[in-house]
Amino acid sequence: MTESLLTGSAQVNGVEIAYVDRGEGDPVVLLHGFPDSHYLWRHQIDPLVEAGFRVIVPDLRGFGASSKPQEVEAYDMRTIVNDVVALTLHLGIQRAHIVGHDWGAAIAWMYAFLMPRRVDHLAVLSVGHPGVFSTPSIEQRAASWYMLFYQFPGVSEQLLRRNGWRLFKEIMGNEGDYQRYPRELAKPGALTAALNWYRANRSPEAELRVERNFPPVLAPTLGIWSSGDKALLEEGMTGSVKFVKGPWRYERVEDASHWIPLDQPEQVTKLLLGFLGTERAATTPSRRRRL
Amino acid sequence: MRTEHADVAIVGGGIAGASAAAYLATHGVSVVLLEKQDRYTDIVRGEWIAPWGMREAQLLGVEDAFGLGGAWEIREWTQWDETTDDPETAETVDMTRFVPGVGGPLSFPHHLVCELMAEQAADNGARVVMGARKATVGDGPVVRYQTDAGDHELRAGMIIGATGRGCTVGRQIGVTMATSVHHWGGGVRVEGLDDWPMDVQAMGTEGEKMFMVFPQGDGMARLYINFPTANKHRYRGEGGTERFIADFELDSLPDRGKSVYAAARPIGPLKVWPSVAMFPERPIVTDGVVLVGDEAGNADTVLGTGLSCSLRDTRTVCEILLGDDWSPSAFEPYLAERKFRMERLHFGAGIIAKLHCEFGPEAVARRRRVRELMAENFAAQVTGLLNMVPPEDVPEFGFSEFFAERLFRERV
Repeated sequence: MTESLLTGSAQVNGVEIAYVDRGEGDPVVLLHGFPDSHYLWRHQIDPLVEAGFRVIVPDLRGFGASSKPQEVEAYDMRTIVNDVVALTLHLGIQRAHIVGHDWGAAIAWMYAFLMPRRVDHLAVLSVGHPGVFSTPSIEQRAASWYMLFYQFPGVSEQLLRRNGWRLFKEIMGNEGDYQRYPRELAKPGALTAALNWYRANRSPEAELRVERNFPPVLAPTLGIWSSGDKALLEEGMTGSVKFVKGPWRYERVEDASHWIPLDQPEQVTKLLLGFLGTERAATTPSRRRRL
Repeated sequence: MRTEHADVAIVGGGIAGASAAAYLATHGVSVVLLEKQDRYTDIVRGEWIAPWGMREAQLLGVEDAFGLGGAWEIREWTQWDETTDDPETAETVDMTRFVPGVGGPLSFPHHLVCELMAEQAADNGARVVMGARKATVGDGPVVRYQTDAGDHELRAGMIIGATGRGCTVGRQIGVTMATSVHHWGGGVRVEGLDDWPMDVQAMGTEGEKMFMVFPQGDGMARLYINFPTANKHRYRGEGGTERFIADFELDSLPDRGKSVYAAARPIGPLKVWPSVAMFPERPIVTDGVVLVGDEAGNADTVLGTGLSCSLRDTRTVCEILLGDDWSPSAFEPYLAERKFRMERLHFGAGIIAKLHCEFGPEAVARRRRVRELMAENFAAQVTGLLNMVPPEDVPEFGFSEFFAERLFRERV
């Protein structure tokens, strides 16, 4: 019943991560968000493989066929970034294009500024740089009554499931793979794992611990935002420019909800194919001796 | 002929059979579930379950099959009716607070929920046989059936008959049914109701139609119409579905029902049936066979309690099956509870059918009178509680002839 394109699975960073690994060439890592899996990228995988990329698409921890630790602490952003690092190392990849959507974009941003030498190009969909989010505007907060970062913290599994998953269905509406999500999240431990992404990273406590002084993103960066996104404002993406030192390109996609890879699959593929490998990074990171 | 063995053989993979399979498999009983369809499709079965039925689903551990199979909680019930002067002022009932731990009733695509329940049963170790045809039940007990692979013989400790109104198993063990038909009904599943409030269900009568709209979320809904037996061919033949949907152009509905008749697109077949009430004339338990769900007898569909009853049956029977004694006497509590429950449901269905599924000037005058009485004294709405809470929790006065007399005859 579960749709799957997975080709392998590896024990990395203390968890089992299932992934797609297809094609040969420059590696591209595609990172999904909430409450998706590798399957979010189903329309992009084949064209990227055919265009000569090696395409790596994990189920991030807590989702799909990967491990679902039940403790909140297991979902710290840095831990998840390390999953991606460990997976690429396991697959013998030193440097890759990193593409992310939703929480996957948040992971991609962090990956890019924490490990500039491991990133070729960066493409982020929907979610802007965390620096923009650490000082959200009133408008962003107003749009957030059900949004990505603010709806799920504090919501209990029981509340989402009760009455035929009514609250969950109301929050998700008819966007993305909305008919698949409850079925995926009903699997043992899946809903708690998915909610833990929010609990670990957007607790009220984390809100107060405003991060500053982010290292700059050196990679050429493509930001994509869709005008039909009900949860995230355009300024979150366009405002990201001040955290990017490499060449910055912004693309606004029309006629797409928050789930841009599903709603405008061909346009996303085209943007990625046109962007990946086209620009050079701002400054090559200084060569330091490895410890 | 292959011979197979199981503790329990279930004939019929509908809501009753599939929920029994899921529950028994979860509790370690070896189960085979036989379903005659090759795969689950929309064959227009019950798609509305009362809050008390969802409580049963929770107790059986199958409530997620509803939510994941596309169930949608309906929160309000607005009583649009030709006896209401202005659609804008029609009375609305909040349905979410009748049963603790459960919200409003759920409306859902029947076949998808059955499919998920069968899947849940299989995941827990049950064997689910799709395309199991020509099931016959014999002493032993034994079920013989055919699939594309050939003939099969299934020996079991107990057979659960759950084949619905067809009564396939019941007829073979000599359980005949007394039947009565009060009216006919038809239904079709539609999409495109983007302007219909998805929180609101409609039930009302206008002209020779008793209409129902049960939203399923995302612009989808199940539409039903009950109509006089004399008119039973009204949707037969070409253009039947179109005529059915066009019949939702009603003065009683806001904007004359435009958000339904002008917007609905069918996403399943239209089916029409006599609304039969069935009363078993023999015990529904024999040595080796027990009947559940509609197969064990059912009230007029207008009441909407068929699925809730099925799940109550399943739970009661399966709890007995978890014990060691599977003799007919062990099922006596089931028979007693079901008898009490069905008496109340038949009585309530009789009142609802008389009130909403009779047509013509006399019936309109009666409905107007009763609605006035109900507005004046809330207790007169007691029968409506059968849709929300289990029959045993409905106050007893609602089941007396005295009450029915007063409801229908007395002028206020």
